[in-house]
Amino acid sequence: MTDVLSELLPPSEGRHSLSEPDWLQEKRQEAGRAVKELGFPNSGIETWKYTSLHRLKKVDFRPAEIADSTADTTVMPKIEIDSLKEKTVIFVNGFFRKDLGTYKNNVAGIKIEPLYNNTNMLEKNQEFISSYSDDAFAALNLAAFSDGISIEVDDNALISETIRLVFIGEHRDPLLRNIKNIIQLGQNAQLRLIEEYRSGIDDFGLTNVSTNIVLQKGATLNHHRLQNEAISSSQIAKIVASVEANASYNSDSIVLGGQLTRLEIDVALTGGLATCRLNGLFSGSGEQHIDHHTTVRHQVGDTHSEELYRGILDDKSRGVFNGKVIVEKDAQKITAKQASNNLLLSRTAEIDTKPELQIYADDVKCAHGATIGQLDSAALFYLRSRGISEQKSRALLIFAFAEEIIKTIPVDNLRSNLERRFIGHNEMSKLKSEAL
Amino acid sequence: MLEIKNLHVAVEGKEILSGINLTVNAGEVHAVMGPNGSGKSTLSHVLAGKEGYEVTKGSILFKEKSLLDLEPEERAGEGVFLAFQYPIEIAGVNNVYMLKAALNGIRAYRGESELSSVQFLKMVKDKVKAVGLDEGLLNRQVNSGFSGGEKKKNEIFQLSVLEPTLAVLDETDSGLDIDALKAVADGVNKLRIATRAFIVVTHYQRLLDHIVPDFVHVLSKGKIVRTGDKELALTLEERGYDWLAEENLV
Repeated sequence: MTDVLSELLPPSEGRHSLSEPDWLQEKRQEAGRAVKELGFPNSGIETWKYTSLHRLKKVDFRPAEIADSTADTTVMPKIEIDSLKEKTVIFVNGFFRKDLGTYKNNVAGIKIEPLYNNTNMLEKNQEFISSYSDDAFAALNLAAFSDGISIEVDDNALISETIRLVFIGEHRDPLLRNIKNIIQLGQNAQLRLIEEYRSGIDDFGLTNVSTNIVLQKGATLNHHRLQNEAISSSQIAKIVASVEANASYNSDSIVLGGQLTRLEIDVALTGGLATCRLNGLFSGSGEQHIDHHTTVRHQVGDTHSEELYRGILDDKSRGVFNGKVIVEKDAQKITAKQASNNLLLSRTAEIDTKPELQIYADDVKCAHGATIGQLDSAALFYLRSRGISEQKSRALLIFAFAEEIIKTIPVDNLRSNLERRFIGHNEMSKLKSEAL
Repeated sequence: MLEIKNLHVAVEGKEILSGINLTVNAGEVHAVMGPNGSGKSTLSHVLAGKEGYEVTKGSILFKEKSLLDLEPEERAGEGVFLAFQYPIEIAGVNNVYMLKAALNGIRAYRGESELSSVQFLKMVKDKVKAVGLDEGLLNRQVNSGFSGGEKKKNEIFQLSVLEPTLAVLDETDSGLDIDALKAVADGVNKLRIATRAFIVVTHYQRLLDHIVPDFVHVLSKGKIVRTGDKELALTLEERGYDWLAEENLV
């Protein structure tokens, strides 16, 4: 039993390398104290109202150590590292595995390193990574992160290679993996990034990942995030992005796996013509719990955001979507669109969806809408009356619902994998690719 | 081919069909006419197996099998096709993709091998021309953004690809202007063959100028109150449905 969050902190002696700078040691200790004070978030906190951590509290997690990074990944299902087209960087149990990835630091304009080797990057973002406020898991992350990725893209560098980060969890013990990522794009830089989480089928670990993103003026980051862990693993993740003038942050969050997944995305649009597009697709079955909390901060005028989340929930799975849009005073002429569409496939599935607008400016265009529905019985009958089995008809309609998000993903590999996953029948996906 | 005996159907406890008897043989075209609320669409839906209809009495035999015991997709496999009065728009599902899944579903039901893509596409391209459907619509999402006429043509196009032995056309003329009506009727006429029967459900006689029926049945308050040949339809056009209802009361 882990009733107290601070029990998840690593032992204070010898927990970090001696090479760690003093300021970081201090920040970690400070964060550790915050963890002790804050404790596990409970349902009394508005943003945790619909997500209970009681199952996590029953697990005796231990913080992952460097020795855990050598876990045998060859037993992992569906890891085809060699066949991946993209430049891949691999972490195992929260530690960088240089030997497994295909990325060599030889693409011009971009520097990718394990964060642990890049204290410079940490120092530059000192304030950013320390602003955990009352977020206990973010504090825990700072206090205890083992490693993560550091990505820096030079000004004006347009990176044509897609970079793929794969975070693998695999251990007999229930591990707590604290991962911290910092991604920084210089002015007018462009990058496409896939961030993928996978775990072994017997992994009961918890991944606690914090990602800080800085997009300088005119930069564009296309960020495709895939939670594809085993349904025994859990994940609590936070992305904090700062988007400067003329810069764009485009994010897809695809959640398929995980027992409990909580993903918070917090985007600040800090300069004119900064934009963000947040798309999400989640599919739960069994007793999966999938929680998205997004916040878009229109801090100045003429900034634009768009959000489309689609959820598909079967069995006793539960989804949560909370989309907050904050328009600061004087942030005029902004546009913010938000939609949350949800498909419930069983009577026992549940979705709690809530748009939240806080508007302090008066000349703005904000639209939001949430829908919750079942498979359209008229469409189902239409397909069946044409000779398509009930099972295939359902798969087709579910696929069609998911496709709205999937089709926007411009990464062939990822898109076709998702299409296969959602169509549920190889035969059908074959059919689709063959259709004219 | 089709034998409906003393069919009683209720929706939410309310009886809609009250003892329908109808025999349809291969090669025949039967028109079922009647005023609004007479039960025409209910009959079509029950034949295709739509949920929400309770058969309280009677039977439907199709090629010696009890149709009522079969799922909608099994009925399609047996050779039943319903052209919908309001074809459903299905966003995200490609027209051709759906049709290929349908055809292969039916072939699998019959123990036949699946068609290859090449065979399938060749056939589709021939047939789309025959029914006068714009080929560009093939790759669109099912019925999405189609005009009323395009939707109905798409139904007939599906009919031509799936080659049923019994085709039920549910108010196929509704919402069509005269040109679209003629085009749809032409498509149907080309599909009239000795091994296939049609049940044409319609409110108005005008469709029957173009699809000439062998039999006309008039449905009123859930019963067939009169059966005749195509002349009966003309009489109905002239005199309306009321005279029949009145005559029936007498």
